[in-house]
Amino acid sequence: MTDAALDVRDLGKVYSTSAGDVHALRGVDLEIVSGETLVLLGPSGSGKSTLLNILGGLDRATSGSARFQDQELTRATDQELTRYRRASVGFIFQFFNLVPSLTARENVALITEIARDPMSPEEALARVGLSDRMDHFPAQLSGGQQQRVAVARAIAKRPQLLFCDEPTGSLDSESGVQVLEAIAEVTRDVGATTMIVSHNADIAGMADRIIRFRDGRITEIERNGKKLAPREMSW
Amino acid sequence: MRSLDRKLLRDLWRLKWQMMAIALLIACGVSVAVMSFSAQRALAGAQAAFYADTRFADVFAQAKRAPLSRVHELTRIEGVTTADGRILDVGLMDVPGLARPAMVRLISLPDDEGRALNRIRLSRGRMPDPRQTDEAVVLKTFMDAAGVKLGDRLTAVVQGRAFTFTVVGAVLSPEYVYVPAPESFMPDDAHQAVLWAPRPTVERAAGMSGTFNAVALKLAPGASTAAVLADVDRILAPYGGRAAYARKDQASHAFLAAELKELSTSASILPPIFLIIAAALVHLTVSRLVDAEREQIGLLKAFGYRDSEAARPYLRMAIAIGLVGAIAGGLVGGTLAAAIVDQYRDYFRFPVLAVRFHWLAFGGASAVAVAATVAGSLAAVRRAAALSPAVAMQPLRPATYRAGLLDRLVRGAAIDQATRVIVRNLERFPVRSLLATLGLAASLTLLVGTQFLFDSLDKVVDQAYYRTQRWSEAISFAEPRSIASLGETLRLPGVLAAEPVRTVAARLQANGREELTRIVGLEPDGRLDRPLDARDRRVPFKGRGLVVSEALADRLGLEAGDEVRVEVIDGRGPAAVLPVSGLARDYSGFAAYMDRRRLNVLMGEGDLVGGAHLQLAADRRSSFYRAIERTPQIVGASSRDETVASWRQAMAEAFRVTVSFYVGFAGAIAFGVAYNTSRIALSERARDLATLRVLGFGEGECAYILVGELAVLALVAIPLGVLGGQALAHGLVAAYSRDEVRLPAIIGQRSYGISLLAYLAAVIVAGGLVARRIWSFDLVAVLKTRD
Repeated sequence: MTDAALDVRDLGKVYSTSAGDVHALRGVDLEIVSGETLVLLGPSGSGKSTLLNILGGLDRATSGSARFQDQELTRATDQELTRYRRASVGFIFQFFNLVPSLTARENVALITEIARDPMSPEEALARVGLSDRMDHFPAQLSGGQQQRVAVARAIAKRPQLLFCDEPTGSLDSESGVQVLEAIAEVTRDVGATTMIVSHNADIAGMADRIIRFRDGRITEIERNGKKLAPREMSW
Repeated sequence: MRSLDRKLLRDLWRLKWQMMAIALLIACGVSVAVMSFSAQRALAGAQAAFYADTRFADVFAQAKRAPLSRVHELTRIEGVTTADGRILDVGLMDVPGLARPAMVRLISLPDDEGRALNRIRLSRGRMPDPRQTDEAVVLKTFMDAAGVKLGDRLTAVVQGRAFTFTVVGAVLSPEYVYVPAPESFMPDDAHQAVLWAPRPTVERAAGMSGTFNAVALKLAPGASTAAVLADVDRILAPYGGRAAYARKDQASHAFLAAELKELSTSASILPPIFLIIAAALVHLTVSRLVDAEREQIGLLKAFGYRDSEAARPYLRMAIAIGLVGAIAGGLVGGTLAAAIVDQYRDYFRFPVLAVRFHWLAFGGASAVAVAATVAGSLAAVRRAAALSPAVAMQPLRPATYRAGLLDRLVRGAAIDQATRVIVRNLERFPVRSLLATLGLAASLTLLVGTQFLFDSLDKVVDQAYYRTQRWSEAISFAEPRSIASLGETLRLPGVLAAEPVRTVAARLQANGREELTRIVGLEPDGRLDRPLDARDRRVPFKGRGLVVSEALADRLGLEAGDEVRVEVIDGRGPAAVLPVSGLARDYSGFAAYMDRRRLNVLMGEGDLVGGAHLQLAADRRSSFYRAIERTPQIVGASSRDETVASWRQAMAEAFRVTVSFYVGFAGAIAFGVAYNTSRIALSERARDLATLRVLGFGEGECAYILVGELAVLALVAIPLGVLGGQALAHGLVAAYSRDEVRLPAIIGQRSYGISLLAYLAAVIVAGGLVARRIWSFDLVAVLKTRD
């Protein structure tokens, strides 16, 4: 399939612990089409974050394959994974992970400086509605504003893939809605393939497909017939 | 074990490298104290025991020839308990295996051993048989260095007479614990022979029956040394007496006293530097730990722990660091003391020189060390005690940053965000940045300020032996002779050039101060020895003016153009007020120079010379030496090349040990400060850096942000350290300068180079060890953890 952004085949991940092996992923198969938005749902320890980490180039699979375009991620070196993340991947974290010593604009510039063909930090911040907060330091911003800076930081390089790990997990609902709106808008504009990991089933409404996990396996893939804007979702 | 204690142990283990880096500094401080005090006590103890055992005299004097009956008169001086008159004559002696003849002092043994002063102690063999006229005991130091054995037969030429004797014993003497060579202050043991023989034997050899020419006096406790010196001078004046001097001016004793003073200097300068830096590092480290563990502290308090209980582990941690460092310092200090005393055995000859661990110094230094670490931790401990459980349980808000001065400075510049992070962190924690910079600067200070010793010595040697004195050999005569004798000297084999010299002992008085020194009479147009000024230009003699060495002028408060009163001690002892026509820069001894003919006029004598400076053909040296051994008038011979070589060897040995200590210590400081600074930065910034790794930054780019801050501090510290080093060099010069040698504070490019290399190496290793951790970041964990 030529427009597959990511192609996952029989992916397995085993963690060795003193208490024995833990199978975090057991033979996951998944094809992700360019430009689509996936929401991964499942209880803690079901494997959704492990999949996100492997596809994001942060962790390695124990077995199987995960391909991004022509690149086999499971066999990539550390340097290749760094290049992959740098060129193609945007991340949004649950706890924002902004650099406290840099202003909003500078936090975004941190990434645009090392990216190929990025948008300007000002443009990225304008897209998340923070034009009037560009010179504020993280400590001077609310949680929702900090997360929107993180969204701007993630999309400023026009990533092909955007990975969001519990992006609203530490926000109140209004802030959460604003952040999800920002994610939805800007991914549409830059055409990024987006994967959102969440405990929160309510945000599934914004997905093209909903992937449910249990015990390291995909238990269900549901196509969302009626995609909602974040403000239309109830939570 | 209580849970909190277990937590403390685990924290210590987790932070072991940081803790060890601090403990290392404490160990350095404590070890210097233990080493210096142990070595000092060993030397002082050996000195006191040897002096008491041998009844080392308090006052010394020489005359030309005084009847033995005068000894009784000397005993009657108020405050004198014993006077011991001896014959002391000098000459040259051929020693098989040595190219240059050794200088000999032949001393008569006392008739009454019970009343004798400066007794010798037999180390091997036996004392001479009084019935034999050809037996002598010899200074062990000389025997060892020259390879002379018991039973050897040697011939010394004293007063033109050959004295052939058998070596029957090797002895040690309190007057010759340390034997400086003439024209130098370094030992030249192989060429400095001291012989003791029964009085009749020495009387015959020196041609001095019933007389004495050297006397030693023992004073009663509380006696006035100055008054005794004046009385001795008065009594001996008719007999060609030369100024009597006190024990503090006795060559061997003075050198030993200077060494003891140096040990005190080391013990008081270095340990405080280490302990202050260690305290600063404890402050930084424990503060960071309290910040990182504020939730745990809050939790403990929420569960009912008292403030003091929750804060106590941090205090205990500081005490533990202090104790570990102190114990390590004690072990190292004991070992170093043994090593340095071992080195002393080569210089200072005592029958017993044993080193014992100085427990009091160890206890004192350890107490101060623990006090320093506790003081360093107090601010953080107090903060832990004051944390309210509610506040402590809330996550720390992101640190508040703002654009500071530095930031505004770089704003205009196109500066990348990674660099901006570095700049902001430096500004955000000014106290920490300042402490780290000062610590790093201290290490460089120590490096620059001690490496200079080598440059300084080079300068002293160059100035003394290649610029001012350009002779290759110097000879001295038993008595001043007519200038006509220079012709004989010129006819000695191998002599290419000879210039006469006349040296007299004199007291110089000015501004109410007085110094005993020598006046060296030189030829006004001489090439082989000429006083030079600070810019290496010849200082010309003007009329009867004196050219005074800067150090001597300093002591007497003299400047060019002033007048100085001169009391000559030799000859008829004339006195005069002479103008100071110029100042000379020299680095060893105290001397004044004048035109030799003018000096002879002052002495009221004819055109006399006391010796000569020579330029010798290198390939004719041995025939020259053979010739002077047979020339009775020549009693002293020194060679520049041999003096310089022995100087360099002895100094290089002594300084190598000292300077390696300093380099090690400085490296420890640089490493300790750099490691702790980067480690704290890492613990604060691990999450930021891991985030950047996730966002596509390479390891190297993250390492730049982490160690960039250290690099800036290390660079800022360089000019400070260099300035500090220059100041330390001047301080050390003041502390270590002695009458015998004054070290100039000269720091050469090589020293700067070596210092910077050692400094940067320590910083880079420390930074590298910390930056290495970036390569093993757990990128997954950072996604989930809250700071």
